[in-house]
Amino acid sequence: MSKIMEWIDARLPVTELIKSQATEYPTPKNLNYWWNFGSLALMVLIIMIATGLFLAMHYKPDALLAFNSVEHIMRDVNYGWLLRYMHANGATFFFVAVYIHILRGMYYGSYRAPREILWWIGIVIFFMLMGTAFMGYVLPWGQMSYWGAAVITNLMSAIPVVGEDLVVWIWGGFAVADPTLNRFFVLHFLLPLLVVGVVVVHLWALHAVHSNNPVGIDLHEGKDTLPFHPYFTIKDLYGMGVFLIVYCYFVFFAPNAFIEADNYIPADPMQTPAHIVPEWYFLPFYAILRAIDFLGAYSKLAGVVAMVLSIAILFILPFLDRSPVRSFRYRPLSKQLFWIFVVNAFVLGWVGYNPPDASLFHGAVPLILIGRVSTAIYFSYFVLLWLITALDIEKPRPVPKSL
Amino acid sequence: MAIEAEENRRDFLILATSAFGVAGVAAAAWPFIRSWSPSADVLAQATTEVDISTVQEGQMITVPWQGKPVFILHRTAEMIASAQKGDKETLPDPAQDADRVKKPEYLVLLAVCTHLGCVPQPVGTGNYGGFLCPCHGSHYDTSGRIRQGPAPKNLEVPHYEFKDATNLVIGKAMA
Amino acid sequence: MRLIKTFLAACFAVTMVPMALHAASGAPQPPAQNWPHQGLFGTFDKASAKRGAQVAVEICMGCHSIGLVKFDQLRKLGFSEAEVKSLAEVQGRTKIDRMNGAMDATAAKDAFGIVPPDLSLITKARKGYEDYTYAILNGYLTDAETALVQKVMADKNISEQEALELQSALLINTDNKEHLKDKLERLTGGASYNKYFPGNFSAMPQPLSNGQINYADGTENSLKQLSHDVVTFLAWAAEPTMEERKSCLAKIFAGVRGGSSPPAEVWRQQPTKVFLLTLILV
Repeated sequence: MSKIMEWIDARLPVTELIKSQATEYPTPKNLNYWWNFGSLALMVLIIMIATGLFLAMHYKPDALLAFNSVEHIMRDVNYGWLLRYMHANGATFFFVAVYIHILRGMYYGSYRAPREILWWIGIVIFFMLMGTAFMGYVLPWGQMSYWGAAVITNLMSAIPVVGEDLVVWIWGGFAVADPTLNRFFVLHFLLPLLVVGVVVVHLWALHAVHSNNPVGIDLHEGKDTLPFHPYFTIKDLYGMGVFLIVYCYFVFFAPNAFIEADNYIPADPMQTPAHIVPEWYFLPFYAILRAIDFLGAYSKLAGVVAMVLSIAILFILPFLDRSPVRSFRYRPLSKQLFWIFVVNAFVLGWVGYNPPDASLFHGAVPLILIGRVSTAIYFSYFVLLWLITALDIEKPRPVPKSL
Repeated sequence: MAIEAEENRRDFLILATSAFGVAGVAAAAWPFIRSWSPSADVLAQATTEVDISTVQEGQMITVPWQGKPVFILHRTAEMIASAQKGDKETLPDPAQDADRVKKPEYLVLLAVCTHLGCVPQPVGTGNYGGFLCPCHGSHYDTSGRIRQGPAPKNLEVPHYEFKDATNLVIGKAMA
Repeated sequence: MRLIKTFLAACFAVTMVPMALHAASGAPQPPAQNWPHQGLFGTFDKASAKRGAQVAVEICMGCHSIGLVKFDQLRKLGFSEAEVKSLAEVQGRTKIDRMNGAMDATAAKDAFGIVPPDLSLITKARKGYEDYTYAILNGYLTDAETALVQKVMADKNISEQEALELQSALLINTDNKEHLKDKLERLTGGASYNKYFPGNFSAMPQPLSNGQINYADGTENSLKQLSHDVVTFLAWAAEPTMEERKSCLAKIFAGVRGGSSPPAEVWRQQPTKVFLLTLILV
């Protein structure tokens, strides 16, 4: 056995790579469970690619056949229902993992120097995931698939001058139709493979600068770190077990909890559903999109810009945060802002879920108003974080010199 | 002297090669990008040409356009008068009849109810002499404006042109 | 542990808490019924589903299709081959055909103005699910309610008292008398009023009524029973693999433990214990 490994290592240093980058990779000894979600996201990515690959062997990307081919998978293909429900709920759990992963980075200052590029690559992955999820949701070709695709692609028409032509180009026709479905299927297949490539770069960037930690200080290798194996392999495995239990609960016992009833009606270009909602993971952004309705003819464009900015603003987060301390654990004001941001994200999601003309307390508080306030709070997080750190308003508590 | 000239020459060659390369890649990408634009068979459905000479006063026809039904109504004087009377009323979705037609005699409507996309019934149904959507009881008037019921908006008027006195083209022709 | 608790709490919150605000014009919430096939380990009531198949074939399929199911697949509910054959013959089909009705789409469109929706996925495709389909079947006016409407419409004038009565009988949530009157006019004009259909007027006349067909097994053939049975059947038609799905984890678990005990029983009786054991296994 060792002879064989020696032979291989002389030509391709596998053992050395595994040792330095995996088993003996120095990992901060104080990582808490919030650090599990990176590996969890990777696990879900693998589940999604595996199930997706096999679903693609039974699925037909044709406007006339797509809906029934999904039902064929559900009814006739052996364990087809399992593949499909794992894939559909996998999207939900992917975003659960990714959102927690991002929020963890925001709370512990993982975007701060020297990890800016690592953070940026993460945001690129997030954008790619959103595109992949959106196009994947179109494939079952139900009413929500169809009208969700129509609403979202129509957003592009808000772009001045070229917008209208751009939408027709994306559709390959005058409405969402067969050509749209066909190209979305190909892109939905292709993008995850590109995501794998970018994830490799993400890990490369991580291993170049090493993990941040809850205290947010630079660590002394050896004194403050532990080898990845077995300490963190076991911790990651434990996290995966817990995560999988929850995932399995939904796959086996509540697989339609996140699927809109309307998506079990075949797509009908002649009939619009009463209330079009995107998947839950897009709801906060959908609320931001709809919040801007007071600019007349520019509302649509402004809404789209606000929606894109709400994620793109994460790119400049490393430069907005000027605090001398990374971790919010020692930053009382930032910590409060952060939790307001998190709660507000849920409020935005709830606003996005409900019809735009709904209201609370018998019309006293229109939902659109809550949406506008929440959107303002969302963006003010970034402004306020910059203000309190750039103007030294926040007085951080003392940070330990080492662990 | 000689070395300088050599360097200038090399700079130029690098520049020229790069420029040529970029242009080449752009040119090669064009067919791929264009392949996403509507194909010939799809383009053929962009417009629908209708002969309206056979539509008598008070009659309407339904023609398919881009897979959707379109009503073409040859309005009588009463219908026009009733539509113009509606201009003065308080409307859920205010619009002047004059802005909704090119010639007062012809009303062209996308026959998709703005409530839930059902197809309304032909002219003369509902409380305003126009179109009644059978699904949830939205009443449209003889200008296709919503007057009563759950629909939020007037029936959409598609883009159309009178090609000549008797021929109407619905939709915009795409290159 | 705190993390796990948060996680579980979040999951339950997502499934349990109704997030939706109902718009003022929204239809009333369908009353919840007891469906044995719901719940973590619920299985289909096969006898009920079999009776429901008879209702579906003899009545629903006069207009609707159940095209994602083939007649032959009804054998999974316990029908014999001969029974399947005779069911298929009701609609002039053979056992290898899909469960499409006798009426084609164009004829249906001429008769009703719209094509009746395919019922294969109906219990999954409407908010309210089984309860909604059941509510629709039971949402038509009773004789007493029809009499009330006729009484009110006789003098063309709705008194306050009558408005209140109508609101509770027809489940209309409006104080606007014009709105009420508009509905009553359409009602007396012959349109089919349904309490639970959004907008109240459905193109479908009351499909089921008391004693409409006779069950071979002698079960009571009331409207409630007929609709309960047909909804049970439609729930099966919407997801025939449901039982396989629900028992899958239990099978894995039984495999881990040696596979001797009846897994479904263990799960049903001691879910907490099973959950904790699985945690330990992990």
